[in-house]
Amino acid sequence: MKIYLLRRVLAVIPVMLVVATVTFLLIHLAPGDPASIIAGPDAAPGDVARLRHNLGLDEPLPAQLLRWYGRLLRGDLGDSIFLRRPVLEAVQERLEPTLLLTTWATLIAVLLGVPAGIISARYHNTAIDQSFMGLALLGLSVPNFLLGLLMILVFGVWLRWLPVAGYVPLDMGLWPNARSLLMPSVSLGLVQSALIARITRSSMLDVLREQYILASRAKGLSERVVVYKHALKNAIIPTLTVIGITFAILVGGAVVIETVFNIPGLGRLIISAVLRRDYPVIQGVVLLIAVTYTLINLMVDLVYLTLDPRIRYQ
Amino acid sequence: MNRIPFSYRLGMVALVLFALASPASAQETPRMGGVLKVASIGEPPTLDIPMSTATLVYEIMWHVNESLFTYDKGFNPVPLLAESYTVTDKGLKYTINLRRAVKFHNGKEMSSADVVPSLKRWGRVASVGRVLWKYVESVDAKDPYTVVISMKQPSTSLIYGLSEAHAAVYPKESIEAAGDGQLKEFIGTGPYRFVEHRPDRHIKLARFKDYSARAEPANGFGGKRTAYFDEILFLTVPETAVRLAGVETGEYHHAMFIKQDSYERIKSLPALESRIVKPRGWAVAVLNHKSPVMGQKKIRQAFQAALDMEPIMVAGFGAREFYRLDPSLFFPEQPWHSTASAKLYNQHDKDKARRLLKEAGYAAQPLRWVTTREYEFMYKNSLVAKQQLEEVGFTVDLQVVDWATLNNRTEKPELWEVFSTGFVFSADPANHVALRCTFQGWWCNEEKERLLAELQGENDVKKRKAIIERIQTVFYEDVGSVKLGDYFTLDAARRELRGDFRTAPRLYFWNSWLAR
Repeated sequence: MKIYLLRRVLAVIPVMLVVATVTFLLIHLAPGDPASIIAGPDAAPGDVARLRHNLGLDEPLPAQLLRWYGRLLRGDLGDSIFLRRPVLEAVQERLEPTLLLTTWATLIAVLLGVPAGIISARYHNTAIDQSFMGLALLGLSVPNFLLGLLMILVFGVWLRWLPVAGYVPLDMGLWPNARSLLMPSVSLGLVQSALIARITRSSMLDVLREQYILASRAKGLSERVVVYKHALKNAIIPTLTVIGITFAILVGGAVVIETVFNIPGLGRLIISAVLRRDYPVIQGVVLLIAVTYTLINLMVDLVYLTLDPRIRYQ
Repeated sequence: MNRIPFSYRLGMVALVLFALASPASAQETPRMGGVLKVASIGEPPTLDIPMSTATLVYEIMWHVNESLFTYDKGFNPVPLLAESYTVTDKGLKYTINLRRAVKFHNGKEMSSADVVPSLKRWGRVASVGRVLWKYVESVDAKDPYTVVISMKQPSTSLIYGLSEAHAAVYPKESIEAAGDGQLKEFIGTGPYRFVEHRPDRHIKLARFKDYSARAEPANGFGGKRTAYFDEILFLTVPETAVRLAGVETGEYHHAMFIKQDSYERIKSLPALESRIVKPRGWAVAVLNHKSPVMGQKKIRQAFQAALDMEPIMVAGFGAREFYRLDPSLFFPEQPWHSTASAKLYNQHDKDKARRLLKEAGYAAQPLRWVTTREYEFMYKNSLVAKQQLEEVGFTVDLQVVDWATLNNRTEKPELWEVFSTGFVFSADPANHVALRCTFQGWWCNEEKERLLAELQGENDVKKRKAIIERIQTVFYEDVGSVKLGDYFTLDAARRELRGDFRTAPRLYFWNSWLAR
């Protein structure tokens, strides 16, 4: 087990190396650079070139890449060109909104999706099943930014129950914080809840057809015990994978929702970094997201172990 | 004669008294206090004004940093930090007297020891500053309140340049600390002082208690400036719909750049008022004079002849309130407006265009037109123009890229023939981007350069106007670039926001206050 863990953790290193190199090359291949953004639309090409030199962006690409590797080895993600502070510090500051947003959204997705999936499976081919799955299909089809804008219109502008946008940090109180995150988390989580509901339903249906379920029913166990104790435990494994992926997808989806709801999280950081070609920030954040992705996958694999004793990692 | 009943008269008196006490008359008295929340379109690329040509940087930071001069209502330079100035030696020596007892936000008094390094840095890093610095021999402090600028040759653009927000005055310590790079602290003399910048959240300014305002009444950007708000928050709200929703619910008091198609909606909401920023700029198709195709005058003339501006501008800006078909290089709101060569603007003469193309021997070489959706009007303008150009025989390869890519690509003459942009308001007729030989497009015309040099040395308003008319004629005959039309943008504000903030083309919040 320990060897397995060590191997998985070590496997992260080559993945990171590939991610680092590809990100670096991709963003440097994209036209436009920070100098022309700082200098603004009416600047003469000469002014931009001078600024480019001051920022060290006129060095050959391989030299810049080597410098970036060197810094990475020292655990230094570099300094943001626009924010003029270390990338890590900027990321730390943006972590709170994104983590809270994705946690709330995942929670909403799970709390809505899993029960909906179970109930649909239990009442397979009934009106309940069909209406739940119809809703799920609708949920999957509506883009989250559209849902977000509609919610702003209804709950922010018409009913005035919630603020239209903006983020209240956690240290200003739990309730104001939760209030500012309610609409964004629902619009982010609803789509994923639909996915989770569909996966849970189909995997529940598979398990409910197993012979051991038939045996438990034959033993005279109540339907409640059969479904929630015996079937659910086995059916939940594929759902768990999806929940793990969901969390990771939500970090990506947060990019859009954070822009719509004006939340200063990691998503916004990366979007503004891309638009103004803030190379160190793009590279740093993509790398950190890749690490998070890999670690979440590892964690999901480890949770399988506790849920299904048959699974053994060598 | 009928007697008016007493009760009726009483009612009339009560009505008059009510009207006098109503908020409509109370609004005339500015109120101190409150936090103004402004929803801005995005993060400014820097807060160091001289470093950038982006309007957003000026609109935020000119509350903090002031320049020696600024513009009055008619866009003529007027002193701001300067008290007065004289020009002697046939335009070769500018003696600028500074105002006394003007304090920086750090408590230090502003003197020529701060102004001289500020101007030198401006001449080194600011785009316009660098252009003008080629005329400057030296800048010296004659005494603590006098700065002398000696010129190599006369330039009427100097005072215009010094009136721009980017010619801001900083304490000499800030400039020394910045070295060759960007400023590390933002200290100025403005009515508001810089408090903090939390990227993607807000930029916070607070009232500067020791602000020394000018005595004259406010006039354009000049005259007396009063900071009525305790604080101003410039909030970053990139999503247009959210900016409008926020100003509607009262979360923001002012929202920049609302889509023009929301105009009717804003008009229908009693709590809001629309602010049409007029003039803002002109939409333009810049032609690459270094390209083998666009380098040919006849092809440029065919391009100019083919276009029908009305549908192009309607596509870009929608309602009539937001565009104007006008041939002039300068806006009707400016003293330099002219109709010279107006017949060459908006010709939509397809036969002429076809004939010119034939004469030029145009062999359907594709015109690479670089445009962007980041400014939706640029994309829509180019889409309609492409169709019109193809009708007369042009082959247009529309390349839609992001703004950063557009800026980068257009620096390289081998990569494009046409690109979309907007030329924002320029007060100085001799330094308009459209006329700069160094700007992408590289329109370097001998006659135009000669006239520009003449304009630099001419102080008489009438003669200046005549030179500008001749420049405009050259612009149309040689087709420097193709002006599509004037455009205006839309901001939305809550009705409780009162005062001077509506002054176009740039936004400012001194002399504005919150009622209630």
